[in-house]
Amino acid sequence: MSAPTAARAPRAAAPQPRRPSLLADLRRVTRHQLFWPVAALVVLVLACGVYSPGFLDVTIKDDHLFGQPIDILRQSVTPLLLGLGMCLVIATGGIDLSVGAVMAISLAVSLTYIDATGPGTGTALVAVAIGLVTALLIGAFNGFLVTALGIQPFIATMILMVAGRGIAMLVTEGQITTTASPAFKSIGSGFVLGVPTPVVIGAVVFVLVTVLVRRTALGMLVESIGINREASRLAGVRARGLEWSVYAICGLLAGLAGLVYGAPTMAADANNIGLMKELDAIMVVVLGGTRLDGGKFSLAGVVVGSLLLTTIERAVIIFHIPSQVTPLFKALVLIIVCLAASERLRKAVTGAVGRLVPARPQEAS
Amino acid sequence: MTTLLTPLSTASQWGARLRDPRYLPVTGTLVALLLILVVGQLRYSEKRSFLSMKLFSNLLVDNSYLLVLAVGMTFVIITGGIDLSVGAVVALVGLTTAKLLIGGFPLWAVLAIGVLVGAAFGTLIGVMVQYFDVQPFIASLAAMFLARGLCNVVSVESLGIKHEGFAALAAWKLKFGEGRESWSINLSMLIAFAVLVVAFVILHHTRFGRTVYGLGSGAGGNAVALMGLRAASTRVWVYVISGTCAGISGILFALYTKSGFNLTGIGMELDAIAAVVIGGALLTGGGGFVLGSATGVLVYGLLQVVIAREGLQSWWTKVLIGVVLLGFVLLQRTLSARRSRAT
Repeated sequence: MSAPTAARAPRAAAPQPRRPSLLADLRRVTRHQLFWPVAALVVLVLACGVYSPGFLDVTIKDDHLFGQPIDILRQSVTPLLLGLGMCLVIATGGIDLSVGAVMAISLAVSLTYIDATGPGTGTALVAVAIGLVTALLIGAFNGFLVTALGIQPFIATMILMVAGRGIAMLVTEGQITTTASPAFKSIGSGFVLGVPTPVVIGAVVFVLVTVLVRRTALGMLVESIGINREASRLAGVRARGLEWSVYAICGLLAGLAGLVYGAPTMAADANNIGLMKELDAIMVVVLGGTRLDGGKFSLAGVVVGSLLLTTIERAVIIFHIPSQVTPLFKALVLIIVCLAASERLRKAVTGAVGRLVPARPQEAS
Repeated sequence: MTTLLTPLSTASQWGARLRDPRYLPVTGTLVALLLILVVGQLRYSEKRSFLSMKLFSNLLVDNSYLLVLAVGMTFVIITGGIDLSVGAVVALVGLTTAKLLIGGFPLWAVLAIGVLVGAAFGTLIGVMVQYFDVQPFIASLAAMFLARGLCNVVSVESLGIKHEGFAALAAWKLKFGEGRESWSINLSMLIAFAVLVVAFVILHHTRFGRTVYGLGSGAGGNAVALMGLRAASTRVWVYVISGTCAGISGILFALYTKSGFNLTGIGMELDAIAAVVIGGALLTGGGGFVLGSATGVLVYGLLQVVIAREGLQSWWTKVLIGVVLLGFVLLQRTLSARRSRAT
């Protein structure tokens, strides 16, 4: 996305040295890959604020933060966690369709353990560990199919997308396992220093992942695999192990997302937890400006994307639009984003603009 | 890859076909089908024979809509694409049909509109894929959201269809046999069979069909375009075919359930993809057969019958389908690895 624009920028600037620098700055800002998502987010939040005064209010009750913005933050954690893992997988040129099913499995495993053992804090910790390890193993299995056996990512992860809910049902024996464990519940509905626990978890995970991939060469290697697998192999990048661990991380984060998402209800509904969430995860990544064909990725974009997605869902309620049309909105947003990213459409638009503005003499080159 | 079919006419060549590497996945499907039938016959024949016309009749009654979906999906998968919208389109067509019939529209118009809705969604995906370079997976995902969203706009409650003509269509059947051994052919089966035949002819005996195989055979369809075949329009048409099949399937599903509901067809696209993959189509594109996909649907349906007969809970279906899918993907993988080593 950014490569062609970066190449075009100096050429456009060269014949017009007298262009005011303010405009050039503006151009640079608008060309940043996160500009449009952030702009959309700001406009949407402002629109909600105008339509429903008090939307932006944050109050402190019993030392806890409350308010619509906090709710949006809290709800955006699930797509954020899914999106971070998905973003890395997509950067390698892959996709993970099993994240929704992994959410269901990890929650089912954790709650079944708590149900069998008891509501103590120690049990809750063990339950979380078991759920996360299960998710990690599932991610590793996906990675095994993709890297060791060379199955297309889309297909390899679709297998678990189909079978995963069945497995979760096997774990809960077809029931909706409900149980009580205050410690476990606090993962989803508790507060740390007044901030909702999920938000803290999301922030910590985001920082960890960012440090892991951006403070080391890991992120660059992942991008190199996504951009040109063969070239990166010739350059000595050990794609197999790297790709494998990316799928494992994605599984782990999906498991965590399942626990955070399901903890407030304490009910492992294997059929419905995480249903269609893989689509949310992909949307979040796409909204954040990461292209689906792999290569360059933006973790900050995932944060913006998940906030945008959650705000869209919330805006539907604020504007009193029947909540059933939310998928319609998501579809339109996805179609618009995809079309906007399309090289062909962009060329057509810039071509039309070029024809309208005759001040670009080397159009023929 | 050499996947273009040459029409063979003599029956004696079928034996050679079964051992031909490019038909091996389909041979695997046939083996799986026979295996399930034999095991079923041995295990479930206490009162009366498991293998009977009634079994196949029921199988087709229950899965005719899936057969139509799988046939459409075969075209898309052979080009190396995917269509994830079909399940949602089935739901939307069902709901549209129900709503329009309740609104008093003539039956023929309603059925035509139903099929057209499917075709419109296919066109949308095809245009996005071909002219805006959107990945098929994403384009069809967007269409899936769109269809589900429109479903919710039409109605969030199940709409029963009480139209007399529609009920007559649903109830029409040719009966054979007597008593407990009786079996029948209903309208859905005939429609599904007609779709199957038309698709078979189009895919395996026309220039369009060859182009479909060519699109999936590598170089992103460039080779096909260089040969002077209509790569661009074919790629759009492939999705139109899949969408139209989804439209027909939606009507068949409405005939089957006599209602429209916005939550029908969740995961149905995966059933269709699974059936096509089990039927021997390569998900990388370039290989697959209409009749293979039909066999895949039978395997899928029989697995459900077996699970029901074994008294297992329904969620075992998902696990088993996953396992079978994995098995067939691995089979394809080893076959294609061996083939690329051989060349």
